[in-house]
Amino acid sequence: MMYHLRQALLAMRANFTATFSTLTTMTITLLVLGAVLLLTLNVNRTLEQLEAQVEVAAFLKDDANIPALLGQVKLYQGVHDARLVSREQVLAEMTRDYPYARDAAALAGNPFPNTLRMRVERVQDSRRIANIVQALPGVATVEYGANYVDPAVKTLNAIRTAGYGLVALLLLGTLFNILNAVRVAMFARRNEIGVMRLLGATPAFIRMPHLIEGVLVGLIAAVVSVSVLAASYLELAKRVAQLVPVFPIVTDLNTIAPILVGIALLSIVIGLLGSLFATSRYLRELE
Amino acid sequence: MIDFNHVTLEYPVTRTLALEDLTMQVARGEFIYLVGHSGAGKSSFMNLVLKRALPTRGEVRIAGEPLSRYRGRRTPLLRRRIGTVFQDNLLLHHLNAYDNVAFSLRVIGVPQREWPQRVTTALRTVGLEHKKQALPLQLSLGEQQRVAIARAIVSNPPLLLADEPTGNLDHENSREVLKILQNVNLRGTTVVVATHARELVETFRHRTLTLRKGRLVRDDPDGGYSL
Repeated sequence: MMYHLRQALLAMRANFTATFSTLTTMTITLLVLGAVLLLTLNVNRTLEQLEAQVEVAAFLKDDANIPALLGQVKLYQGVHDARLVSREQVLAEMTRDYPYARDAAALAGNPFPNTLRMRVERVQDSRRIANIVQALPGVATVEYGANYVDPAVKTLNAIRTAGYGLVALLLLGTLFNILNAVRVAMFARRNEIGVMRLLGATPAFIRMPHLIEGVLVGLIAAVVSVSVLAASYLELAKRVAQLVPVFPIVTDLNTIAPILVGIALLSIVIGLLGSLFATSRYLRELE
Repeated sequence: MIDFNHVTLEYPVTRTLALEDLTMQVARGEFIYLVGHSGAGKSSFMNLVLKRALPTRGEVRIAGEPLSRYRGRRTPLLRRRIGTVFQDNLLLHHLNAYDNVAFSLRVIGVPQREWPQRVTTALRTVGLEHKKQALPLQLSLGEQQRVAIARAIVSNPPLLLADEPTGNLDHENSREVLKILQNVNLRGTTVVVATHARELVETFRHRTLTLRKGRLVRDDPDGGYSL
């Protein structure tokens, strides 16, 4: 094994440019992947918080059959909870936020309707449920915060999807980079490989230094990227928590650590896979 | 040891007929020459024995086993039973003579503790025990070829193939290499030498097979060079 390790290190040194280029691409890819994953983690946390807060409010007509409506909406799929807020309770809430509301009500009467407030299980269901409830008899209008819920969900999902797309492309690029680097290394050793084959070396023996090379590149890229990611994310999280305390940024190490470990393992697996493909193909061409 | 039965070899890309209906046997422990002009089929014969090419028709058997039995991952097992020496000695220039010979043992997985004794014996056989630390470029062409022979015999293969082993050597070194190959043969190894060197074939007489345009035209048990 020491022989193979030494050969791998010699190959990496002899083809420094190709190795360095692979290492750089791989590190950048892992950094972007890590950033996307950590962003997704925070997006999911934000969505969860949004979901916990978003309510669909149905403003009822005076002649609405309130008990029947309440019973009906509770049966809808996606409705987590539904409750009636009477017009008096609405006025009290409004007076708490806007003290002049009571004076206005004293002059012109309570303008607020009885309201059904529904909590949804997923924020994406808000529009669907609002449309269904809107069509019910006795419902005047429905409000579900469309102005901010829809764009927020769309934006967060778009960021997440674009991030995954970018990472997929970068991973593919990294794989090709490793294929190329290992191929260059094998070509540089072609005389030695030719002699090995004549002497009866097995394919496993011939490819071993290159598999080690792939794993080493993956390992180095993993160490660099995970270190940079961890340090910069924790620093960023600290600053965000100070600047925007309401933003639910994840700082729990038990939640972040599995992502970082996953990135490191992925890096090593990609290094190994790239080398496996490259060596198999090169040896097949020699047959 | 080697059994060719109506073997034809046509290279697929160039459609060159390298060997045509070749039937011959080499017995265990024999020393034979394979002679012929360039393109006569000597190297193609070697390629078939080493399974670097497969016959288009006919059957090749090595040590009683058909070549087809050495498929895929078994090909290295065949090559471990055959020592090879080429005109270009194929030494690794970053390794000294000792390491070049030991490389053969490393490749086939011989335990490292056995290397010193086996490598030293092989280098002694070719008369280069005193130059084991020398890099190939510090050796003469004749000495390099002798190191290549040591590498070929260190694993004690039952068969040794030498393709133009004296092609790059002067008269004196050529004779030296031939003597070494004869000594290897005297220890029981079957030796096949493909050569152009008329003088050597005439001097060190052994069974001689003559190829012409891929066909066996002469099989002379007493030797002698006649194209």
